[in-house]
Amino acid sequence: METFISDGLSFALPLFVIAIGGIYSERSGITNLALEGMLGMGAFVGALAVVLLTNGAFAGEFYLAMLFACLGGALFAVIHAVLCINFRANQVISGVVINILATALAAFLAKLINASVFGQNSNKFQLSTAPTLGTIIPGISGVPVLGKMYVFVPIILVVALIAWFILYKTRFGMHLRACGDNPHAVDAAGGNVARTRFIAVLASGALSGIGGICFAYYIAANFSPSIFMGYGYLSIAALIFGNWRVMPTLAACLLFGFARSGGYAVAKLLALPSTFSNLIMTLPYIVTLLLLVFFSKTNRAPRALGEIYDKGKR
Amino acid sequence: MVYFIYTYSQGGVKTGLSEYIVEMRGVTKRFPGIVANDNVSIAIKKGEIYALLGENGAGKSTLMSMLFGLYEPDEGEIYVRGEKVTLESPAAAAKLGIGMVHQHFRLISNYTIAQNIVLGIEPKKRLLGFLPTVDIKKANRDIAELSRRYGLEVDPTQKIEDVGVSMQQRVEILKMLYREAEILIFDEPTAMLTPQEIEFLLKIILELRAGGKTIILITHKLEEIKQVADRCAVLARGKLIGVIDAATTSTREMANMMVGREVETDIDKKPANFGREILKVEGLTVKNDDGLEVVKDVGFSVRAGEIFAVAGVSGNGQIELADAVAGLAKTSGGRIFLDGEEITHASVRDRILAGMSYIPEDRQNVGLVLDFDLAENLALKSYFKEPFCRKGFLNRAAFEEHGNRLIEEYDIRSGQGTHTQVRSMSGGNQQKAIIAREIELESKLMIFVQPTRGLDIGAIENIRRQILAERDAGRAVLLISLELDEIMALADTIGVIYRGQLLKTAPAAELTSRKVGEYMMGVSA
Repeated sequence: METFISDGLSFALPLFVIAIGGIYSERSGITNLALEGMLGMGAFVGALAVVLLTNGAFAGEFYLAMLFACLGGALFAVIHAVLCINFRANQVISGVVINILATALAAFLAKLINASVFGQNSNKFQLSTAPTLGTIIPGISGVPVLGKMYVFVPIILVVALIAWFILYKTRFGMHLRACGDNPHAVDAAGGNVARTRFIAVLASGALSGIGGICFAYYIAANFSPSIFMGYGYLSIAALIFGNWRVMPTLAACLLFGFARSGGYAVAKLLALPSTFSNLIMTLPYIVTLLLLVFFSKTNRAPRALGEIYDKGKR
Repeated sequence: MVYFIYTYSQGGVKTGLSEYIVEMRGVTKRFPGIVANDNVSIAIKKGEIYALLGENGAGKSTLMSMLFGLYEPDEGEIYVRGEKVTLESPAAAAKLGIGMVHQHFRLISNYTIAQNIVLGIEPKKRLLGFLPTVDIKKANRDIAELSRRYGLEVDPTQKIEDVGVSMQQRVEILKMLYREAEILIFDEPTAMLTPQEIEFLLKIILELRAGGKTIILITHKLEEIKQVADRCAVLARGKLIGVIDAATTSTREMANMMVGREVETDIDKKPANFGREILKVEGLTVKNDDGLEVVKDVGFSVRAGEIFAVAGVSGNGQIELADAVAGLAKTSGGRIFLDGEEITHASVRDRILAGMSYIPEDRQNVGLVLDFDLAENLALKSYFKEPFCRKGFLNRAAFEEHGNRLIEEYDIRSGQGTHTQVRSMSGGNQQKAIIAREIELESKLMIFVQPTRGLDIGAIENIRRQILAERDAGRAVLLISLELDEIMALADTIGVIYRGQLLKTAPAAELTSRKVGEYMMGVSA
């Protein structure tokens, strides 16, 4: 039961922070299929910083990785922002191309850097395991669930709270959401649509980077090109089920997380051979498909989503 | 985003104090292929209502968009309160006290009225002493106060998507007033309103002038200019034709100036000669995508030689009604008969073959294939028949011949005849092409949905004549229009639709436009 909960949360929360990134971008009117690429490149930059800057014994390794993943994701998101906002490219195509680029680039660079800097033939960057709450606050190491909870779970919850506050309570958030509904109105009200959207896309990259490095730590304790497992797409599904709103999206992510950990628990219980447990891993995606059938009809995307904004258009 | 900022040499221009609050001197604006404004100069006095009159495409909106900072002029200068200005954005215009109510409202549909009004200049407060947030409570209070002061009642907490067009327009007006704009531009403000709402709006405009505001009114409705404007600039094909005094110029003179020829405003209508029942609709119910009944239990019939007009405020189910009869929307109840044959579940093709013509509201997306040429568009409903199609192969010669004949007969103007891409044609000529095609089908029933929407006086006159000619030729005509003038001018029988139901059906002779307007607002008596 304890593993079921902690595995579920450890999967759901990184997914959630990526989905919030998606919400930022899409509520501002920019379709973002590039979450997959952004999370991967964020994780790549985070892991690269770890292997270059530390010797494997640095206590703050995880936080360093998180910081760089955040920066890396934002930097990579510049491509999407420039293509979609400055060059008015088709946002779907830009997203897909960025994902393909990220997959290839991460594999290539990881191999190149391993060979040239460390003299190894590998496409992985070794990381340590993510710290748990129990290791930080020794007093609670024995508490069930909480003691073995990875620190990124509460960190992401705090990040989510801040993101929610900015989106719904501040002027910037109000402008951001307005851009996704009717950019002409923002323009007429004296706002700057291009700048708001640019910042939103960068934020989506930064948040995806955080999610990406958490996945790298939690799932493999290393960075390898197998980070591109489709979690970015899964978070897009989550935000669509969440109707582009933060709290319902959290619910969708938790559902995916527990579907996955529940699947593992069932596989373990039945002592199935690994071929079958791989089948169980498809569970979150099957849940996605089912939800898609039942719920997505009533959901409403931001009105101006994916529309190229043309100031002069009437 | 790159803004091209034009800076003009300041040297030598001595403006000083001016009696004009806004002056545009020699303004030219070019778009690819057209000159939207050609050396236009206008001067507007403080505290007057200045109308801009012109046909569609005459350049009125473009001219005002430059004053509002949406476009920048290619040539010419703009002066506000005697100072030369460069308006590179709406924000710059707002700083100078210029506000605009656009024809298509610029509102955020999922925001409340108050949020929309304060957007961009939100009142702030510090939550817990440090977190900067939008003070929505203060916004609500301010808006309530503002709306009382100007007699424009709104509920600040209502969402835009839940209120009607006239309320949305009120929000746009309040948006300008909240920004303390002094120069208010209205772009076709009455296009989507009922007569009562128009009356109210014009009253508000007069009150705003009394309060010291300067108002620029873009319109092609002559009566409104007569009613409220002080002066009026007439534009045609991008050029300024002249500036007239609204009080001393007759509407006929204005119309002639605008169109550049003599306009017959009154259409003579021959007495009706009704034949057998052609269209019969019984208990028709249509649901929209959300499962709401947008057309509820509607029944009526249209005889040969009769124009049955459905009047109603936009969004009351008239479009869905037309789509259901034409077979574009699914019915969820009721039956439809065409000349005695039930067609409730017939396909669109079968309906066309059974004798139904349809001129849709959205002429560009439903009525035409914009990237096809004119000849192909003119044969869009008959391409599958001889002589256009022989043994599965299209016969281009037949398209050409048919196209040339229709272009000649219906005076469809285009750049390259049958080979013109329809996208490049003007709205009026696109509509002419659709009407030509539909009339050529020689159907028993013709459905016209908003046939003159967005067209100018000359084209409107032409199309109304054609509708009457079809009726006189013994066809049944179902006309759906938001323009009450049009309905009063053409209809033999009027059905008023309100919230999906036919509230009143009566011969046109028994109704006044005022009465119809009341029914449109849901007043049943």
